[in-house]
Formats: sequence, structure tokens, C-alpha cells
Amino acid sequence: MTDYKPANPVLEVQDLRFYYGDSRAIHGVDITFPEKQVTALIGPSGCGKSTLLRCFNRMNDLIDISRVEGKVLLDGQNIYDKSTDIIELRRQVGMVFQKSNPFPKSIYENVIYGLRIAGEKDKALFDERVETSLRGAALWDEVKDRLHDSALGLSGGQMQRLCIARAIAVNPKVILMDEPCSALDPKSTARVEELIGELRKNFTIIIVTHNMQQAARVSDNTAFLFEGNLIEYGPTDQLFVKPQNKQTEDYITGRFG
Amino acid sequence: MNAAFLKKVKRNDQLARWVITVGGMAIIFSVIFILVLIAKVSLPLFLAPKAQLQQVVQLDRANEQIVTFGHDEYMETAYRLLDDGTTVFFNLEDGSEIDRFEPDPPAEGLTPLTVESFGRLRQAIGWSDGQLTVSQVRFKPFFDINNNNQRRIDHEIIPLALFPTPADGIPLISQARIDEEGRQTRVNRYPGNHLTLQVREVSENFLGDEEITETETTLSFNSSGTLTTLILSAAGQHLYAGTDRGELLRWYLSDTEEPKLIETVQAFADQRSITALNLVLGDVSLAVGDETGQVSTWFPVRDEMGDKKLKRIHTLSQHNGAVQKILPSPQDKSVISLGPNKLILDLMTSERFLLAFGEEEGLIDFRLSTRGDSILALTKEGRLLSWKLDIPHPEISLGTLFGKVWYEGYDEPVYAWQSSSASDDYEPKLSLAPLIFGTLKGTFYAMLFAVPLAIFGAIYTSQFARPRLREWIKPAVEVMAAIPTVIIGFLAALWLAPLIERSLGGVFLSLILLPAALMLSILAWQGARKIEPLKRLERGFEFLAIAPIIILTIAIAAACGPGLENLFFAGDLKQWLFTEMGTRYDPRNCIIIAFAMGFAVIPITFTIAEDSLSNVPNSLKAASLALGASRWQTVWRVILPSASPGIFAGTMIGFGRAVGETMIVLMATGNTAIMDLSIFNGMRPLSANIAVEIPEAPVDGSLYRTLFLSAVILFVMTFVVNTIAEIVRQRLRAKYGKF
Amino acid sequence: MKNRNEALDSYWRIGEPMVWISATALALTLLSAATLLIVIMVNGLGVFWPSDIEKVHLKDRPPVFGQLIRTEENAEKTGLRRQYKIANRDLYGLDFRWIDESQIDETQRPADLIVLERVEHGDFYGRLKTMTGPHTETSAVDLAGLNSALEKTTVELDQLSELEDKLSDASYRLEQLRLKQLKLDYDNAPVDTAAQSQLQRDKAELDREFGALITLQTRRLAEVRKAKAIFVDAAGQEKEISLVDIFQAYAPNTMSTGDKVVFYLHKLAELFIGEPRESNTEGGLFPAIFGTVMLIFVMSLFSFPLGVIAAIYLREYAKEGVVVRIVRIAVNNLAGIPSIVYGIFGLGFFVYGIGHGIDMLFFPERTPTPTFGTGGLLWASLTLALLTVPVVIVSTEEALGAIPREMREGSYALGATKFQTLYRVLLPMTSPGIMTGLILAMARAAGEVAPLMITGVVKLAPALPIDGNFPFLHLDRKFMHLGFHIYDIGFQSPNVEAAKPMVFVTTLLLVLIVLLMSSVAIGLRNRMKKRYTFGTF
Repeated sequence: MTDYKPANPVLEVQDLRFYYGDSRAIHGVDITFPEKQVTALIGPSGCGKSTLLRCFNRMNDLIDISRVEGKVLLDGQNIYDKSTDIIELRRQVGMVFQKSNPFPKSIYENVIYGLRIAGEKDKALFDERVETSLRGAALWDEVKDRLHDSALGLSGGQMQRLCIARAIAVNPKVILMDEPCSALDPKSTARVEELIGELRKNFTIIIVTHNMQQAARVSDNTAFLFEGNLIEYGPTDQLFVKPQNKQTEDYITGRFG
Repeated sequence: MNAAFLKKVKRNDQLARWVITVGGMAIIFSVIFILVLIAKVSLPLFLAPKAQLQQVVQLDRANEQIVTFGHDEYMETAYRLLDDGTTVFFNLEDGSEIDRFEPDPPAEGLTPLTVESFGRLRQAIGWSDGQLTVSQVRFKPFFDINNNNQRRIDHEIIPLALFPTPADGIPLISQARIDEEGRQTRVNRYPGNHLTLQVREVSENFLGDEEITETETTLSFNSSGTLTTLILSAAGQHLYAGTDRGELLRWYLSDTEEPKLIETVQAFADQRSITALNLVLGDVSLAVGDETGQVSTWFPVRDEMGDKKLKRIHTLSQHNGAVQKILPSPQDKSVISLGPNKLILDLMTSERFLLAFGEEEGLIDFRLSTRGDSILALTKEGRLLSWKLDIPHPEISLGTLFGKVWYEGYDEPVYAWQSSSASDDYEPKLSLAPLIFGTLKGTFYAMLFAVPLAIFGAIYTSQFARPRLREWIKPAVEVMAAIPTVIIGFLAALWLAPLIERSLGGVFLSLILLPAALMLSILAWQGARKIEPLKRLERGFEFLAIAPIIILTIAIAAACGPGLENLFFAGDLKQWLFTEMGTRYDPRNCIIIAFAMGFAVIPITFTIAEDSLSNVPNSLKAASLALGASRWQTVWRVILPSASPGIFAGTMIGFGRAVGETMIVLMATGNTAIMDLSIFNGMRPLSANIAVEIPEAPVDGSLYRTLFLSAVILFVMTFVVNTIAEIVRQRLRAKYGKF
Repeated sequence: MKNRNEALDSYWRIGEPMVWISATALALTLLSAATLLIVIMVNGLGVFWPSDIEKVHLKDRPPVFGQLIRTEENAEKTGLRRQYKIANRDLYGLDFRWIDESQIDETQRPADLIVLERVEHGDFYGRLKTMTGPHTETSAVDLAGLNSALEKTTVELDQLSELEDKLSDASYRLEQLRLKQLKLDYDNAPVDTAAQSQLQRDKAELDREFGALITLQTRRLAEVRKAKAIFVDAAGQEKEISLVDIFQAYAPNTMSTGDKVVFYLHKLAELFIGEPRESNTEGGLFPAIFGTVMLIFVMSLFSFPLGVIAAIYLREYAKEGVVVRIVRIAVNNLAGIPSIVYGIFGLGFFVYGIGHGIDMLFFPERTPTPTFGTGGLLWASLTLALLTVPVVIVSTEEALGAIPREMREGSYALGATKFQTLYRVLLPMTSPGIMTGLILAMARAAGEVAPLMITGVVKLAPALPIDGNFPFLHLDRKFMHLGFHIYDIGFQSPNVEAAKPMVFVTTLLLVLIVLLMSSVAIGLRNRMKKRYTFGTF
């Protein structure tokens, strides 16, 4: 069932269609994401969840042959409007990737990257933001003594948390997470999941995951996609306990995917 | 985050995009630009010649009879000699008279009977009493300081010689020539094939006084026909004549006491009359015009008996009526002939028709300027027409560039490259054929040596050598690629060439001993590998083991070389090669080239081949080995085919490198432009040729543009090879999988 | 258990011998590379070592002083013969002589045998007989005395060289005046203006100054030349040599190994900072080294930005498709074009095209003498820049391509523009790659000769491209180059045997430079490859 409409929407998707060249990958998705909640997108590989996610910060624009039809409203404004400033959009909608990708710079520089490219120069602001973001990413205590060491010296889990810190340093409205734990070991995964729970107090989070248990643990709402279609969308505890759609049920119970 | 900064950031981004796109495209198009520019310099070689009519001046036929005429280099002033002996200088633009020179006969009251114009505005005037004067018209351009440095031309007539009346009386026709050393020659023709020769030698005796010796002889000959035409060479050393039965006669006049008739040849089997004769610049070739309108050139060529006989070499244009007159160009080997209704310009060497003009004007006579770039012609209605000629590079044609050409003094048509010589009237030999041959020959021998070594070495390095060793071998070979070719060439020429020349026997011996030693080693290995510690060599150290064997073999070959030479080749292999096999041994030859250029090419092919062999996924190798194939069988049947695109590409790129290599060939060959397949002599490739010739080539001259043309050929060759490599690589990649 | 024949047979069939054959191929390749390096080292390193000089007593000829070069079988194959360097080119007409061993009575090493390195005519071997003239009065007639006298004349020469500097400065200023005059004449300026008369006055004054300097120089040189020494060769022939013509004097037979090492190092230093003598076959390589460095520097100024920009375009901006494929083919072809074709392009386009144009626009008064319309540093550098741009492009492209997509995406996702991503994240990461390309390009520039021969390198340049006169960097000047040096000395010297040592030394230097640069570049690249293929991101 796809007509679940939560209150306080921050991101609203209306009849979104996505094309790779001539072939359509996403067929008319309508979905609304509520503020300061975690929404999970689940589905089998190739169902289009990552693609959908990347529509929300227009990262798909990097692909030459891609085309989008429909609307995605961020606070009421269609981000695919001609007048939209993509740079501003990406500051408001941040992203954490599957494979953590810190820049080969210091931890400090990584966190304030987003500020620097916006033209900030105030060192006091930097210092303060670094601490806030690293605390917010539950990394501060581990790295506070080596802020100017290379980010590449961190462990896998630490790097991913650094990426999260980097993303929140610019105060986005929404944070998109594309399978953020799939490259991490169970312990790091647990820490990141814990972090997500904390983050939702301040940020809206949309997370793509192929791990259903993770979705069940972490999210408030879940959307199930299959072959480019939104099959079912609803509060997590409802969807997992009593899915309304047979496909959803099959997927959750592991019959495929 | 402020809006102004955002705007600036976006502006920078756009600017960067613009700069980078333009810059990127510019670099890329520089490839095309290079080709375009080089081609542009070479294109004028093939530009069509042009003749432009400049002025027409109507002369007063009623009151004046013109005997001869001429003009200056700038086509401003001309002169005409009238039948009463007056010379009139006039403005060529409008015909207005500038001044007159009164007749200057050797004795009172004489009038000109016959006039022959020759050389640089010289005329030999036969007077009515049989005496003959030779004079020259000289135009002197100068820059008038008082008049804004404008150019003005002064003119004068200089008397050069005076011949007395010949013993046999007033001749029908006379020709005369004067040479630099004071020898004056006059040939007189009388009715009934009677020819006499007058020679005056003017010299200074030891007191400083002038001494004149005069001789007169009869030139006798046998002919069934009547003499029609005569021509003396520029210095008066040779005389040629043609008859109305198609015969050509040749005399050598140097010995004044005894002028020699060298030969009489039936030039045309159909006995057509010879109507015009002249000598082409350089006085080697004879230009012959006959009554059928054919223009041809002849010079003496050795026949089977070893004698030199006049032979028809080049056949030029055909007029539609008897050839009336032929004049040679004073600049190059072109020939201008006047027929019944037009003038034709041909270039002799390339047999290239250049221009035809003056159709239907009724031309009866013509003259060339001293620079050979303008023609003044007289019509039967008494008009003087002048043409400016624009003939860039007449001696170049596709025939002379790529085909066999019969050059003056050669016994047959050949391919030759010889760009210059000391004399001015030299016939440039600019055939690209020996150079292309040279490029291909050098590349062939180099690849013969390099390709097997590179590919097999790459196979060993990527498939059989210990991985740890591979980490050293690869960079070592890559660094080998960085060695400047000037150093390779230097060592090849000054160290390797003398070494090989001294011990040629050793070289050949090692060619035989090395494979033999290899075979022996392999056989010996059968036994040795049973010993356990040695067996470990097989896991990737083979090449280390074989190195000392190679060194030992070469040392043995070097030591035994002289002994071998003594035993079989009477002590000197080079001599034996010459006497028994007819091949001359050049100290700088293709053996050296094969080693040196091979040395330069191997690292390139090796690196690319090795990379592509190593990029074959290990899973393929593992699958083959698991099925029980030996390691060589795996390589041969599985890995090589997969890596073949890369190996092919590497070979092609190495080929391209060898084609373009300059320094090594410059230093290690004799740079002789010969076309000989033998490995024992050198060659001259396109690349070294450019390096050697271009510093001295006059800018925009034929040689200069031909060198640019050869650069175009080099560019195209390497372009084609590289593109084929790329395409084959892409095709094979599709066929064998994405490696 | 197979019997022996069967085992052999299967050994052949499975192709094991082919492994050995391919091993041989590799061994041959590496051996030839090693041979090349060894030959260069052996011949090059020994050049500056002061070998002993022998006094060779011959059976029925007068004795000679000579340095043994090598021994080999004689032409008639009846025994051995030795090649001696007998020096004293101005006395004997030749430097080297082959002597059959059968002709030799005995050889000695006299302690008082002095070797002179001279400004002209090469080395001299002989004994010191007497010294005359200024600075020699207080010196003993032995090597020590000779050297102290030489020191004094060197002091004089140093003062003279200051004079020469003033002279060349004056002559430069005269030349500038001449060119100014030419320009005025060309512009048809009236002859009687103030500018013209000032010019005349300046010229007259400079002429006076120049004249005075010349006179002073001639006089002092003549004075110094009066210091002479008379030497005697092995056969007793005398030769008078001015002390100023002597560069260095030493007695190798009396030098200990330590002395010889010091001497060797001294000569090595001279090689780097000294000027060439005797048409480049002796002396130092400083102008050639300087010229090569200048060439590399100016060339890099062009090929670096051009190559990097083109690579960035190819990787980051160009849209995939036919265009990019054609462009890639073009770049590969650019790399394969023979260097001589670049040379001829440089000649036709830069020298005779743009250079001629510049002359017509800015220096028309100097025609027909070309300023930029002939080969020079600028054109040679541009030609080489074109030649090496593909190297920079390929290295930069490789480095850019090795950066994972996630790095770019991470930057974009934070709101950076493409340009910001380039210069904040990507370019710093590719700097080793760019460096590799640049170093490889520079190594190429040091070693290429063919295109340089026709665009501005000469045997002997009258001045360095950088000097104290405005505009300080003279891009229109011709210059010298190590690679060309090798070609020139080895192949265009009148006396190849005498030149060989210098060629080997230059070759050794160039080979070391190029090998060093290439190894650094390749090492950098390999390290980078490792970092990116096994990296944690």
C-alpha cells in the first residue's frame, strides 16, 4: 500500500520516473518522508532503491544519459525545477555512501570541507563545528587528540562515522544513507546504527539497506521497492508484522531477494 | 553561506569548464594541425604552372625589319636589332622608345646578314662581308638615391669578339661561342654540307701582352641528307647538327688542330627531318625538334660495347606541325619549343608538360629573359607579346618522386637521391623511393631482431619468472626505454661497429653457437634437473641461469672467430664476402642497425606485451593448469590468444618507433641512399634524410618542400600503423574478452 | 616409470624448452642493456684518471713519451701492437700512434715527465727545460716552480677576465646602439634630430671606451704572454709555450693514488663548471648543462599546463562517445609521431612562420638578419613541449582515472562544484602522477636530439641564454645541449680519436641523469599504483 502519508513531510516525491537513456528504471513513485524520522528503503538488488535515493540530491545528474520526470519537493520546492540551485540543494540534502570515502586530508579538514567550499574562513567556527559534528557522529572522543592526522589512518567504522560527521557539519535538513553499513563489521555496524538513532533527533534520515533486520531495528517508516515500483510503504512495525502486499511478505520472509 | 561567494564559485566553475574544454580540444587538434601545416608546405610542389600575358606592343612593320630582340629581368625595358644594324631600346609597357644605338659594323657600310642570339643576351652578328661580331646587351639595375631609391635600369652593348671573314667566303649561317678562358669558336655553314670551323685563342704571354692564335679547319662528315640545324655548346667545345634525313651528328672541337667527328647516328628510323636543335642547361642533353612536331632529348649512353652513343632519353611534347625553334631555360632543365601555333614548356627530367600558351597568335620567334621567368615573343604581324611565367618546382612530379628517372650521364633510369652538387647547372635528383626503401629496410632488420626478443622476454617475465624478480625486471626494461637514442647511436657507431668489423667471423660463429649452446643446455638440463636444489631453478630463475651460458658462448665465439676466418675464409671474411658472394661489407651496416634500433624498440614492445600478458585474469591460467596443461601449453593456447591484442599493439607501436627513429640511423649508417637488401651495407631512411638535408635547404625551394613531403609520408605511415594497432586492439578485445 | 627417451620426448612436447628459449630472450635483452651501461662506465669513468706516462725506447727510432691506450693484435697478425697517445699535436701532427711490440726496447716512467693541459692543441708531454719572462724569476725549474709561476699568471688572467667582462659589456652596449640606429634608419627618421645626435655622441663615447679597453687588454695580454717555458720531448725536440696557454700541469708518474683521486675529483668539478675548449673535445660541459637545464625548464612551462589541462578535459569534461574516442586516438598518435616530424614542424611553423612574423612586426629594421626567425631557445622548447605533451597527458589521465568514483561523489554530495572538486580533492591526489609525467617529459627533453638540431641547438653558443643584460632571459638565443654535444663531438670532430674520451664522459653524465630521472618517475608511479589498487578506499 502506498498511500501512507505521514505528518510533517519534509521531502515529497510525486510520480517520479527515472530513465537511463531509453529504459525506465523507476516507474512513477509517490512517497512522502516525514521530518526528523528515519525511513528505510528496502528491496532486492536492482530494484532501484539506490537510484531513487540518488534522485533526492540529484546525484544522478552526473550520469549523462539519465532523465527524470515528476517532482521531488523539498519543503514545498521542486528540486527538479530549472531555477533550483543544485549546490544549495546538496547542502541541504547530504549523503553518506556505501563505501566510506574520506578525502586524503586530515580529519579536521575532512569535516570542514563542506564549510570551506561554501566560503567560510572563520577558524573559530571551524573548531566549533568540528567538535559538534564529531560528537554528533560519536567519534570525538576517539580522535580529539589527532584531529590533524590523516583520515586514512582510521579504521573502517571510524571512517564511515567521519563521513557522517562530514555530512552533518553543514547542517543539512535530510541525510541520505546508501547502505552505509554494508562494508562494515558487525561491531561497527552496531555503532553506526546506534548513531542513526541519535541523529534522528536533529535530522531527517532516509536509509537504503538490503538488510531487513537493520531496517526493522533502525527505521520509523519503511518503503518496499521492487523492479522500480513502490510496492508498499508504511510504519516499520506495521510493514514488518503485517505486510499488506504479498510481494512484501515474500520478500520479508526471505522467499526471494 | 553567502550569495556573493556562491556566485563567484559558480563563475569560477564556468570559467574553468570553458578554459579546460578549449585547452583540451586545442591540444588534441594540434595533431591535425601539425599534419595540415606540414602538408601545406609541401603542396606547392604540385601547383600548376601559370603563364600570364603582360603586355602587347605593336611595332612598325612597314619601316622596320627586326633581326633579333631581347628584354630585361623586370620586363620593363626591351631592345630590338634592326636589319640596318641599329639597336633600339624601348619601354616594354607602352612601346615608347628610350634610345637608339647606331650600327657598329666592323667596317664601313656593312649590314647584318645573319644573327644568332644565344646565352645571356648575346648575339653573334654575321655581317655582309663575312666578318662576325659577338656582342652582349647588359641591363644594369640600380637604385636611384636621388629619387627615393627607385629602381632604374641602365643598358649598354658590350662588344666581345670579332671574327675575320672565313677563307671559304661569306657563309650561309654562322654560329659563335666565347668561353671564359679566351677561346672563341665560330662554325660556318656553306651550301652542300660544307662546314668549317674557326677558332681564335686569346691569351696573355708572360710579358702581359695579348696573343691571338687563329685556326681554320673543315669539318667533314658523311650524310645522305642535308644539314638542317646546328648548335654549339656554351663554351664552344661540342657541335651538334641535324639533317633532313633524321640523322644527328656530334663533333668534339677541343683539339683545334683536329676536331673530331665522334658519331653520326640515325636518330629517327623514319628519316624525318630535324627542324630544331638546342642544348639543355648544362650542355649534356641535346633537345631535338623534328618535322612531325615531336620534341625529344638525347644524350650519350654507354652501349653493349662500352662506347657512348647518342640515345633518345626523354620524349616531350608533340606540336601539330614542325618544331620551329627550341630554347633552353637558363635556370633549370626545362625546354621551350615553338611550334606552328603555340609555345610549349616541358621539363626534361620529369618529362613533365608544364605550359602551353600563345595559341593562334601567329608566333614566329621568342626569347627568354636571363632569369628564365619571362618570355618575349614576336608575331608575324609585328606584335611583341610578353608573358610572365610562374612555375614553382618544375622538376618535381609524382614520376620523379616515386618512379625511375633517367638522369643525365646515367646509363639507364634509376631511383636516386642526391640533393646538390657544386655546379649550378646540376640536375637535382629528388626521388623519395630510395628513402622509403631505406626506412623499410632499417625497420625490417630492427624488428627482425627486436620482436622475438621482446615478445618472448615478455612471456617469460609475466608467466614464468618469479614474481619478486618480475618487480625488478619490469622497471629495468622500462628504464632501458629512457636511454636517449643519441647514446645508443653513438655506441653503435663508435664501439659496436668497429668491434663487429674486426671480428665478423666471431659474430657469425655466435649466431650458430648460441642456438647450439641453448640446445645443449636444455639437453644437459634433463640430467641436471634431477638434482633437487637445481630443480628449484625451474621456478622462475631460468633466465639467471642462462645468462652465464650466453656470455660464455659469445666469449668462445669471439675467441674462435679469427681461427674460423683463417680456416675457411683465407683469413678475411669480408674479402671472401666480396669475391665469392659479390657483396661489399660496409663498416656501418644493417647488422649494427638491427642491434641498435632493436635495442631502442624492444623496451616499448616488451612493456606493452608484458602488461597485456599480465592482465589476463589468473582464473584462466588456473583453469588451464587444473585441466592438466603444462605451463607452456597454457601460455601458448590460453594466455597468448587472450593477450594477442596487446602484443599486436605493442609490435605495431614498436614498428612505428622504428620507422621514425632518426639519431641511431644518422650515426650508425653510412647514410648512403642506396636500394640494396643486403644486411652488409647501410641505407638512408626518410627520417635521417630530413635531419641531414633541412639545415642547408633554401627555404621554400624544391628540396625544402620535398623534405616536408617526406615528413608527411612519415607522419602518415606512423599514423596508419598506430591507428591499425588501436583498431585491431579494440576488435580483438571484443573477440577475446575485456582485457 | 617412464624410460629416459619417453621422458625426454614428453619434456619437449609439453614445451618446457620454450620456457628456456623465452628465458634466453629475456637474458639477451637484459645483458645487452647491462653491456651498454658497462661500456659507458668503463670508458667514461677512466677518462679523468691521470694515467702514468711511459718513456718508450724504440729499437731504431728516437724514443717517445706516450700514454698506453690499448693493446691488440697487429695487422699482419704476427704479434701485438700498442696504441699510445703521444699528444704534442702541434709538433707531430697526430695524437695517437700504433707501435708494434717488437719495436719496443723497454719502457720507463721518468719522474720528471710533465703533462700539460693546454688551451689549444691538446695535451703536451715533455720535460721542463727553462722558464723566462715575468713571474718566473723566482721559480725553480721543476714542477713546483712551474705551478707557482702558473699561479701568478692565473692571477693576472683573472684580472684580465674582469677586463674582458667590461669589454663584452661595452660591445653589448655598442650592439644595442647599432640596433637603435638601424631602427631609426628603417623608420626613415630625419637625420638631424636630437635623438640621432645623442645616438652619435653615445656611439662615439662608447667607441672611445671600447678602444681604450682593447688597447689595455692587448697590452696586458702581450705582457703576460712574455712568461714562457721551454719544454723538451722524448727525442729532444724543443717547444716554447706561453704560460697563459697552459691550463694545468702535473707529473702523473710521481702522483700517489691519493693525489690521483684528488686530481680526478678536481677534473670532475671542472667538467661541471668549466667551459669547453678545443672545439668541445676538451674542457667543461657547463654551457651544455646550462642549456639543457634551460631547455627543460622552458619546455616544462609549456607542456605542464597544456598536458594537465588536456588530461583533465579528457577525463572529467568530455562526454563519452565518438568524439572522445577520436580524441584518444589522436593523443595516442601524437605520442607515436617521429620526433623529426616534430622538428620539421617546429622549423616550418615556429621558426619560419611565427618567428619570421615576429621579426617582420617587431624587428623589421634588422632584416635580413633574423632575430626570432631562426632557431633558438623558445622554438626548441615549444617543439619539445609538443613532443612531450602526450607523456604528461597519459600520466595525468592515468592518475585521474585511478581515483575512485566515490571520491568525486563525496565532494559533489557536499555541494562542491566540479572545479572545486578538481582543485581541492582530485588534483592534489594526482600530483604524483603529474609529477611522474613531468619527470618523464624532462628526461625525454634531455635526451632528444633530432628535433633540436634543426630548431636551435648549436655546437658552440656565443652566450648563455641568461645573462645580466635586459631582458635577462634571451629566448631568441641559440644554446648548447648535452645530447647534441654527444652527436657533435662524436661525429663532426676533425679528430675522432682525440674526442672519444670527452664523448664517453658526456655520455656517462647524460645516461646517469636520464636514468636517475626515469627511475624516480617509474618508482613514483609504481608506488602510486600500489596505493590505489590495495588502498583502503
